[in-house]
Amino acid sequence: MKQKGWTSLKRDAPFHVRTPKTVLKKVLVGLVLFSFGAFVAYLLPFLMSFSGASGPWVHHPLLPILVMTAIFVSAYKSTEHRIKKFLEKYFFHKKTFAQMTLMDLTGELAVNLDIQEIANLVVNTFGEVLQLKTVALLVPDPLEDHFEIASAFGWTISASKKVRLAADTPLLKMIHQTGPHVLMRGPVLQSLSWQEANALARDLDSLQAAWIIPLFVKGELTGLLAFGALVPDTVFDQGDFHFFREFAAAIAPCVHNAMVVKRLRQLNFELQDSQSQWVQKTKLNAIEKLAAGIAHEIHNPLAIISGKAQVLLMQRGPKQLEPNVQEALNAIVKQTHRAADITRKLLMYSQGSRGPQERISLEKVLDETLSLLAYQASTDKIEIVRNLDRELPLFFANMQEIREIFLNLLLNAVEAVGAEGKIVVELKYRRDEELIEIVCSDTGKGIPVEHLDKVFNPFYTTRHEAVGLGLFVTKQIVHRYGGSIRVESQVGIGSMFTLQLPYVAEAMREKEPVKTGAAVLNR
Amino acid sequence: MSKLLIVDDEVEICEFLKSFFEDRDFEVAVANGGSQALEKVAAFHPEVVLLDIQMPGMDGLQVLKKIKETYPKVKVIMVTAVETQEKIEEAMRFGADNYITKPLSLEYLEKDVQDKIDILAKGF
Repeated sequence: MKQKGWTSLKRDAPFHVRTPKTVLKKVLVGLVLFSFGAFVAYLLPFLMSFSGASGPWVHHPLLPILVMTAIFVSAYKSTEHRIKKFLEKYFFHKKTFAQMTLMDLTGELAVNLDIQEIANLVVNTFGEVLQLKTVALLVPDPLEDHFEIASAFGWTISASKKVRLAADTPLLKMIHQTGPHVLMRGPVLQSLSWQEANALARDLDSLQAAWIIPLFVKGELTGLLAFGALVPDTVFDQGDFHFFREFAAAIAPCVHNAMVVKRLRQLNFELQDSQSQWVQKTKLNAIEKLAAGIAHEIHNPLAIISGKAQVLLMQRGPKQLEPNVQEALNAIVKQTHRAADITRKLLMYSQGSRGPQERISLEKVLDETLSLLAYQASTDKIEIVRNLDRELPLFFANMQEIREIFLNLLLNAVEAVGAEGKIVVELKYRRDEELIEIVCSDTGKGIPVEHLDKVFNPFYTTRHEAVGLGLFVTKQIVHRYGGSIRVESQVGIGSMFTLQLPYVAEAMREKEPVKTGAAVLNR
Repeated sequence: MSKLLIVDDEVEICEFLKSFFEDRDFEVAVANGGSQALEKVAAFHPEVVLLDIQMPGMDGLQVLKKIKETYPKVKVIMVTAVETQEKIEEAMRFGADNYITKPLSLEYLEKDVQDKIDILAKGF
């Protein structure tokens, strides 16, 4: 694999890398010691004369040099560190400033519980302050057992979204072995066999990183800070690595806590979701029981009424019924069956339909439904406009249920419009979101704001002759398909119902999701 | 004359079905409960039974099971007020020959009963 700029650290680079800065520091230390030596050598003849020593060697030109060398050699080791610290404090402000900025950041992170904000702050500050090429903060995905990038600096968003570091990758295995030490690409690769080094290099390449700072909390890996440098031969010294470890120790608990909070939020959301599904299910169960009870109690008397009328109608023999009696009997039979249909329908939707699903043309189903309404629409001067996407794919669904959706939406619209007005039905396929969208708008009387949240309730109706199940049933069907329905309305102007159904082309949908409530999504 | 047994706990339903089928030259017997239905099957030897599912005491499904065990040739049409998928599937498993829902369409019922009798006449 070809090495890129940020990975081109020489493979033979020693672990303690000498940077121009450290060399400069050493030279400065030497200079200070030499000056001190020269000063002592200069004073030496006077000191000698005070102490009574004399002789020609006192003024020998080699003596000061000897003294200078002696002082330099004996004092170098013990003073180097102090002088370096002193120099760092007063002459190498830049690095201290970077470190101070980063340590300030840790204070800010401690009071933040949003993992996204924390990640953004860390990568951006880290990247800018240290003038890096790339920085990425990886956090574990507890459900998927891998690490992914929470936020990245110097990355394209799409590239950062793609990174998945599985728990068994060489890099993570290595980090679990080495613990909280900063991992350096060059030295680490050098210490491994070429196969292992190749595998690890692939992981590092995928993270665009030359260094990895692991974030541990109580021995548990809670994140990785992976970064690469802009200048190929950028190197950090021991002090930097020491600081990185300190920095990692400071931000690790913040990341950990934020991840815990995120997980809790997720769980809380799931809990709320399943609770609302449960409420929905309980409601449906109650309706099912009620409907079953009503059906049994009502269907028997209806059967008797209709049966007796049919016996009279179908009587054999010489007796012929008067036309008006025949008409009345026919009406009795018809109306009893209509009444029975109501409870049957209610029962059917509370139980969830188990009808067969097939690939259907939404356009065809819509047109069939529109033809049912054509007569009423024409007598009432209602203009119905269909507005369809040119390329509507076949939708895998139960024909009866989709027809029921269209019928309920259109019947409501016709009812709302009254004697004159316009209804627009739109069918769209939103390819990027994989959604089928059905929009039904009318220029009808509209729904008062205080009733908007009730329109989907069972038995909600504004008409005396209606049962108030149309929109309830529509919502049940939409939920069964994992979709959503919403309504916007303004009194006197009209209403607009928008349905979104996840597009399914084949038989992939779960069976009877409504029974488990799993498919109830509210987008 | 074909023999038909009507089983329903609603007396009025039995009554109009009886008059309807007698008008069509059937010999009709009526039972208002499960155990009475089994007695009638034994004594009357019907060719077709119209059997209500929901009855107090022994329900239609139990009666169906017993009839099919003892007289497998008797055709049984289940009559339900509420058609739940489970009940229908159970009835089919016990060997019901068809099911119809209340309120009944007598035209359909007559045709269905006649079908069953024709099948029996052919010796199945």
